[in-house]
Order: sequence, then C-alpha cells, then structure tokens
Amino acid sequence: MIHFPLAMRLLARNWQSGEQRILVAALVIAVTASTTIGFFTDRLGRGMTNQSAGFLGADLVLESSRPIAADWLVEARNKGLQAIETLEFASMVINGEALLLSGVKAVQDGFPLRGEIRTAAAPFAPDAATQALPLPGEAWVAPRLLTNLGLQVGDEVEVGAHRLRITRVITFEPGSVGNPFGVAPRLLMRMADVAATSVVQPGSRLTYRYLFAGHEADVSKYRAWLAPRLGPSHELVGVQESGRAVGTTLQRTERFLGLAVLAAIVLAGVAVAMAARRYSERHFDTSAMLRCMGATQRDLLGLYLPQLLLIGLLASAVGCILGWVAQYGLLYLLAGLLPVAPATPHAWPALAGFATGIITLAGFALPPVMRLKDVPPLRVLRRELLPLPSRAWLVYGAALCAIVAVMWRYTDSWPLTLSVLVGGIALAALLSLLALLLLSLSRRFNSRVGVAWRFGLNNLWRRRQSSISQILAFSLTLMAMAVVALVRTDLLTTWQAQLPADVPNHFAINILPDQVEEFASSLQAAGVVTEQLYPMVRGRLVKINGTAVQKSVTKEERSDNALNRELNLTWTTVLQADNQILTGRWWQPEDTGKPRVSVESKLAERLDIKMGDELGFSIGGETLSAEVTSIRSVQWESFRPNFYMVFPPQVINQFPTTYMTSFKLGKEEKPLLRELVARYQAVTVLEMDRVIEQVGVVFRQVTLTVEYVLVFTLLAGFAVLFAALQTSQDDRLYEGALLRALGGSRRQLRSGHLAEFTALGGIAGLLAAMGTECLAWVLYSEVLDLQHSFHWHIWIIAPIAGALLIGAAGYWGTRTVVGRSPMLLLQNQ
Amino acid sequence: MIAARHLSKRVETAAGPLDILTDIHLEIQARESVAIVGVSGSGKSTLLGLLAGLDLPSAGEVFLSHYPLHDLDEDGRARVRGELVGFVFQSFQLLGNLTALENVMLPLELRRDRQPREQAAELLSRVGLGERLQHYPKQLSGGEQQRVAIARAFVTEPAILFADEPTGNLDNVTGETVIDLLFRLNRDKGTTLVLVTHDEHLASRCERLIHLEAGRIVSPVKAASTA
Ligand SMILES: Nc1ncnc2c1ncn2[C@@H]1O[C@H](COP(=O)(O)OP(=O)(O)OP(=O)(O)O)[C@@H](O)[C@H]1O
Ligand SMILES: [Mg+2]
Repeated sequence: MIHFPLAMRLLARNWQSGEQRILVAALVIAVTASTTIGFFTDRLGRGMTNQSAGFLGADLVLESSRPIAADWLVEARNKGLQAIETLEFASMVINGEALLLSGVKAVQDGFPLRGEIRTAAAPFAPDAATQALPLPGEAWVAPRLLTNLGLQVGDEVEVGAHRLRITRVITFEPGSVGNPFGVAPRLLMRMADVAATSVVQPGSRLTYRYLFAGHEADVSKYRAWLAPRLGPSHELVGVQESGRAVGTTLQRTERFLGLAVLAAIVLAGVAVAMAARRYSERHFDTSAMLRCMGATQRDLLGLYLPQLLLIGLLASAVGCILGWVAQYGLLYLLAGLLPVAPATPHAWPALAGFATGIITLAGFALPPVMRLKDVPPLRVLRRELLPLPSRAWLVYGAALCAIVAVMWRYTDSWPLTLSVLVGGIALAALLSLLALLLLSLSRRFNSRVGVAWRFGLNNLWRRRQSSISQILAFSLTLMAMAVVALVRTDLLTTWQAQLPADVPNHFAINILPDQVEEFASSLQAAGVVTEQLYPMVRGRLVKINGTAVQKSVTKEERSDNALNRELNLTWTTVLQADNQILTGRWWQPEDTGKPRVSVESKLAERLDIKMGDELGFSIGGETLSAEVTSIRSVQWESFRPNFYMVFPPQVINQFPTTYMTSFKLGKEEKPLLRELVARYQAVTVLEMDRVIEQVGVVFRQVTLTVEYVLVFTLLAGFAVLFAALQTSQDDRLYEGALLRALGGSRRQLRSGHLAEFTALGGIAGLLAAMGTECLAWVLYSEVLDLQHSFHWHIWIIAPIAGALLIGAAGYWGTRTVVGRSPMLLLQNQ
Repeated sequence: MIAARHLSKRVETAAGPLDILTDIHLEIQARESVAIVGVSGSGKSTLLGLLAGLDLPSAGEVFLSHYPLHDLDEDGRARVRGELVGFVFQSFQLLGNLTALENVMLPLELRRDRQPREQAAELLSRVGLGERLQHYPKQLSGGEQQRVAIARAFVTEPAILFADEPTGNLDNVTGETVIDLLFRLNRDKGTTLVLVTHDEHLASRCERLIHLEAGRIVSPVKAASTA
C-alpha cells in the first residue's frame, strides 16, 4: 500500500524541519564524488579508445633506432599497405637567447595514416582537425614550446642549423601518446628539412617510426612476414598493444582515484546510516500512532520507503549535477597533461553516480528505516517499548553489499575487490583499536586538566563508539592528504637537493668524435668545469650466457627498462669517483681490447647477472659478447654521466660513437648554451634544472588532482561528524540544560564542547600522523626508492590541523545546544 | 460491542513471571461509556491495550464487534483498529511537523478517504479550533492540542473510542472542556467510549466503572449517568 501523496507531504514537512539534511548532504557528497570521477575517466577513456588507431597514427608501427632495410617497405607496399617513415629526435630549439629541448618529429606526406592532427591558430585557441602538414620551412609546435621560448605563431625558430617558421599550434598529434607527461614539447616538421638542420649525425639518438596502414588481413599478413625478421633494436606496436598501454595507465588512474572516491562513499554511507538511524528513532512515535490508527506494516513501508526513495532521487540528482560541474575542475587541474582532448560527456557516468546514490542509501539507510515497521503499537501506552534492534548481520550485510557493489565499479576484479575490502576492514579495525587506546589514555589526564577539558574528554569517552567512527573518518582522510603532500614535497625537495651547488646540472650528448677536443676546449675557455667526456655507443643487451634475455628472464624482468631500450655503452679506464667495485676488479692495462664488461650492481641483481657470465650485445646490427669481470655500484643521483655497462678500451670503439659529458652552469651562464648549440648543431644539451622544474610542475598538477578528490573524502568525514552531532543532540541539549541549571555558564559549556572536538581532532590527527609515517616508510622504501627519514613536522601539523578543523566544526555544530534557555529544555524533557 | 473472556496477561520479568491481569471478564455494549479505574500499577493501561488490540493476551479472548482479536495477527488487528477504533492518549501524540488540520486528516488519508480536508476542517471547527487549522502543535496550548487529538480520534467516526488518561496532563478547567467535548461527540456520533482515568470527575460522568485492583476486576459498579 503506497500512500504517495501522504508520503510526499510528510517528506516535505520533515524536510522543512531539517531532519534529513545531513542524510541528503552525505548522499550528495557520495554521488558528487562518484560522478566527478566517473565523468572524468569515462571522457578520457572514450577519448582514448575511440582513437586507438588514431593514437598510433597507423594500424601498425615499427620502431627502430636505425633506418630499416628498403625492401621491408617495398614488401609492405606489395602487400597493399600504405607505408611512411617518420623520424624523432631530441634537439635544442632556439629563439634568440632562449633555448629549449624539444621532441622533434619529422614527417612525410601522408602522415598520419590513421587519426588526425588537431591544431589551433594560437595557444588555447579553439582547435580543429586538419589534413594538412607543415610546409617545408615551417614547423608546428606544442603550446608549451611557444610559452617557454617567448614565441608566437608566425615567429621563426632555430632547429640546429635551420630556421623554421611556426605556423600552427598542435593540440593533438597521433603517436605521442606513449608519453603524455613528456618533458620535451613537440615540434613537428618536414622530413625534407631534417638534412638542413645538420642535427642528425652518426651515433645520434634517433627513433625511426614506420607507419603502416591497410586492410586488417593485409596488416596481419605483413606482421607475420615481418616478425621473424625483426632484430633487437626493432619494436612492433599494433593498435592492441598501444590501446593496452594507454588502457593500463588509465585504469591505474581510475583505480587510484576510485579508491579515494570509495573512501568518500563509505564515509558518506556511515553518515547516512547514523542520520537514518536517528531519523528512524525520531519516528517511532509516529509509527506507533499510525499503527494504532490501523496502518499495517505494509502501509508503513508504503509511507516511509517512497520518502526515502525520493530523498535518494533528489540527492542523487543534485550530486550528478555537482559532479558534472566538478569534473571540469579536475580537467582544468590536469590541463595540458592530458594525452587527448576528453570526449564529449555521455550520460552514463551520471547514471552510475545516480545508482551509487541509491545503492548507498539502500545499503546504509534501509535497515534502520525498516525498523519503523516493527514498532509495536503498544508504544502509544508504554513509551519505553522499542522495536527489536536491527539484526547486526542485516545492518553490516547491507552496508557491505552496497560497498562491494560500488567498489566493483572501480576495481572490476574480484581479487582486488576482496583484498581492498579485507585490507580496509583490517585497517579500520586497527585504527579503531588505536583510537580506543588513545581515548582511554586521554582519560588519564582527566584529573589534571580543567573543567572544560574534563567535560569534553568525558563526553568523548561516554560516546566512544561514535567518537571512534569520527576519529576513524578523519584520521583516514587526514592521512591520505598528508601522504600526498609529503610525497610531493619530499620528491620535489629530493630532486632539487640532488642538484647541490657543485653538481653538474647539464648534460651534453651527441658530441661528434671529431668535435670532442673542440667542444671541451670551448667549455674550458668559458671557464666551465666539465667531467670527463665519455664515448657512447648505443646497443642492446640481448643474451645472457647464450640465452636470449627475452626468454631467460621472468615476465617482470622482461619489462625492465634496461632490456626494452637501447643502453648507452661506454669504455674508460678511469673509474668514476662515486662508483665502487663490489666484486671483481676494475680494468688493468692488460684488459684493453679484451671482450670484458663491468655491470652496474642493481641491474645485475634484477637480471640475475653474475661474475663470469657471458653477455651478448647487439650493436648497430652486429653482435658482441663479453664476460662480466666486475660489478659496480653507481650513484645515479649524482647527475654525473653513469653507465650500466662499461667496457675496457678497444672493445666497442669500432661502432658509431658519440660523446657525452656533464657540466655545471649557473643561471647567468646560460647564454653560453646558445653559443654551444649554434656551433655544435648535433649536440643536445639536457638542462636538468629545467627538466626537474618541468617534472615538478607535472607532479604538482597530478598530486593536486588527487587532493581535489580527497576533498570529497574530507567532506564526507564532516558529514559523519555532523551526523554524530545530530545523534547526540538530544543528549547534549539535556546535559547542557542540566549543567546550566546547576549554575554552569554558557561559556563553560562552550569551552567544554570546544575541548571535546579539539581533542577528537587532535587524536584523529595523531593517528593520521602515525599512519602517514608508516605508509610513507613503505612507499619510500618499496616504491619511490627514497631515503625515509622521520617526518617530525607531520606529527605536529596533523594533530594541530585536525584539532583546529574539527574543533571549529564541532564548536559550530553544537552552538544551538547552548543557545536555549535551561527552562525550556527541562520542560521539553 | 466489546467482550473479554477469561483474559489474562502475564509477563516474564527478571524476578520471575508477573501476572498483570488475571481472569478478566467483561462486556461493553455499543454506545456505552465505561471508565476503567484503579490505583497506579493496577493494570488499567494493560487492559485498555488488550481491549484495543494493541497487544495480545496470554490467555483468554477479546472480541471487538465480531472480530476475535486474539486470533488475528498484528496486521489483522491493525485493520480492525482502522475500521472500528479511535484513540486519545495522555501525551497527545500529534505529529509536530504537521499542522492541526493535517494531523486530523492523517487517519482519513490512511483509509484513502475522498475528502479528508473538508471532514477534518469540519471536525476541528466542532472542537472549537476552526480558526487554528494551519497552526502547528507547538503553537497550541496543551488543551488545544488535546482537542486536536480528539478531533483526530473522531474524524473516522469510529465505533469505539479508547482513551488513556485523556485529561492527565491538563489542569481542571481545561480538562473539563476536553471532557465535555469527549462526551458530546460520544453522544452525537453514537460512539462507544472506554477510558482509563484517575480523574474522579471524569469517571463519574461515565455510565459504568470497572474497578481494577492488582489485575482483577473487583466490582463492576453501575454508575448513575450524569451525561
Ligand atoms: N511488559 C511488561 N513487563 C513488565 N512489567 C510490566 C509490563 N507491562 C506492564 N507491566 C507492569 O504491570 C503493572 C501494570 O501496568 P499498567 O501500565 O497497566 O498500570 P496502570 O494501571 O496503567 O498504572 P498507571 O495508573 O500508573 O498508568 C505495572 O506495575 C507495570 O510496571
Ligand atoms: Mg496507565
């Protein structure tokens, strides 16, 4: 029996009295959080999958560090495929005094074979797809290149020995997806102009990309033909592989943000449950009376469930709208980092957000509200009669179902759902235990603190169940925020600290052999201290003791960066000052010309390389094998030239060689770079200070995004706080009136409340600090490879921030309790 | 109209079983007005609850009109209440979020009556609150609130009205107007009236007194009708 009009009137009237505000607010927070992330990931995801081939710019891409044999292209065309060549390399791009390392891509007519380039007339101007390419003598560039070099569209820029006019701004370009957070902004030019730049020299670090497109069957035939011919320096990327790589990144982001959203939803759920419970308890009398008037249990459900449903629908709708707005904030924060323009929003994240709202409501509010139908009608005569309490399994079961249902969306896998669930419960249990411990410890101080504190601490202890859930909510949120902030500052300062005054901050690579002396003396003439110049030969590690590495190592190891890209091989007789031989011995004069190699210790460990192993290298299409005679430790953070593999002289010098070095330049010496680059056009200078700056900017943006999402979690925490306040309101009114009737002043009562919530926040902050320290320790040692040190400031900031934040919120939330006259309260009782 | 046979109520307490009512036997005719009296704790409210079908007896039978309450489940009894019974309580049990008018409309709406608003407004003016339809309970005095409760009880024109201490929270003068109202409506609508009271004046206006002592009826006295 659904009494819709009556239900709606009751709802409207209850709404006016503000009874359901917290429930609705909590629900809105949950839905907003879920919808925001839903929109964000959906728009990006669709943007990406829609354009998988567009991303790649082809159906199949062959990457190589050298030009491929001409007959491979002939074969492709014979098989009915289109085939074009592109060339990518890093190069300094110059405008007057300003220079910037840019990722240059040289293309031919026909590029891209799939997808399209999007360009704009100026940075941030509306963009559009184009079929055209830069004309000879022109360049199209990423917006950042313009801003960093102080250029505008129409200006000229120098690339090596050649000047190009900038005619468009690139907003999207196929084939650039591999590195969305790339450091070097793109410059697109004609292949025909490359020669004029004189940047490309033997030994230069180049990436040739051959793009193929055609009918699916032809592509796979060609792929089959090509596969057995590929060497170690080749890599084939099809649409699937590329899609998968992009998909994985996206999935990781989604999961990570999803976890924050999940926390927000669970907290909001707790607030919903508390609010619903209070709502239900306040309606016991109504229920009993309606029963007296002849309402059956179904009538009661028909009265209360539509109200609940309507609340859910309204709150979800509001949440969807807010989420739709909030996603723009997220996209704005990540502007410039996104690999694609997000697709136009679809409706389904809103629907999913909507469903999240309804599920949360059902899971957390239904059990307490269902109790209303069980109120005994005799309660009208005997006020103390209560319905049977909801079964614990029902309450927790429903909540758990809701959580799992919501979580499923973010994890999409049972094992992960289960492990997050178990981990979450374990964490919550541990934190609850600690919170209880801290609460009981705080009571020890009871006798030593003033009246206000005693009142506050007593209150916390008396309602400890609710106190603990609030402490839990806030400590988790503060912890997440603190960890993000900590990792950010620590990473940034570590990077910056790694560039102390005397450490080189520039790398020069691609120095041609016949320019080595000259280059060194130019630097010396300018008074710049340089490191030794190291020869550099590019090659791949392909065999360990005769077994191909791709077979001999495990899957994880196979994805090791050292295996998947070309290594810089060098030779020298002088051991770097900060290198240390761990086993074996360093080169002696008799090693010269012998096929021996010294291996960096961490790589050796990862790939299980031992003294005496035979390593097979593929260099420029030839192979070379060498025996491991020493294992070295290397300090990568030193910013000096360092190498995984060091040979004795006279072993790899017959291969194309360039030289590299590092040196230190102050800010005021930067103009020297301009001179160097103009004179040695093939040389690429990596400005580490700039790189770090850029990485820092990217990193700040990414962490800001995470914090943005964590704000929802914090809001949900406040929803729990206010729900708890509401629950304890009658109690507080009574005890407040009592205290005042006994002669306590308003101020005393207020300071009691302040003390209570300050203590609550302080304890939450303290727990957060503990958690942060533990989490940071794990993160630093296991993931980030950072030196972990004790973060004393977290231990101060977190409790103080918690105390201030929650103290203020609680103080505000309890203001009405003291605002009433004690007389009135006692009459009400 | 109401019949109770060998009615007993026993509850289990920490100190062993407790007999609240023992072997109650009574019959109340239609249109009769009956007061259940006795000292505090004698079982008056319990008896009222059993007669109204709010609770089930441990033993014995209760008939309301022809319905055997002891055989019905809670929802069945609720339907009987909806059809036959109106209630007035000591604490007025109005919904604070609803206006006087809406409170009175409530039982009609539960029964899906056609024109709840008109009937409710009519009854409220009969209890002298025609000008206060849109007022909320907290804007009304105790006596006015009880009048709203009475209007709500009578609006469905129940065959039987149960009242537990209807004047318990009111001063004498206010109580008097409420009592007048109760009996006037009782007469006008031909309602059977069963009330529990401590108020001797109220009890004396009933046609019959049922005297409870420690859960037993001691002497069903036929009082002189003063109404
Ligand atoms: N479910 C129960 N469990 C235990 N004791 C009960 C229960 N129900 C009623 N009683 C007890 O039975 C006795 C009679 O209760 P009842 O409410 O009927 O008395 P009453 O006559 O209405 O008293 P008063 O005039 O004070 O309202 C009381 O002592 C009460 O405490
Ligand atoms: Mg009683």
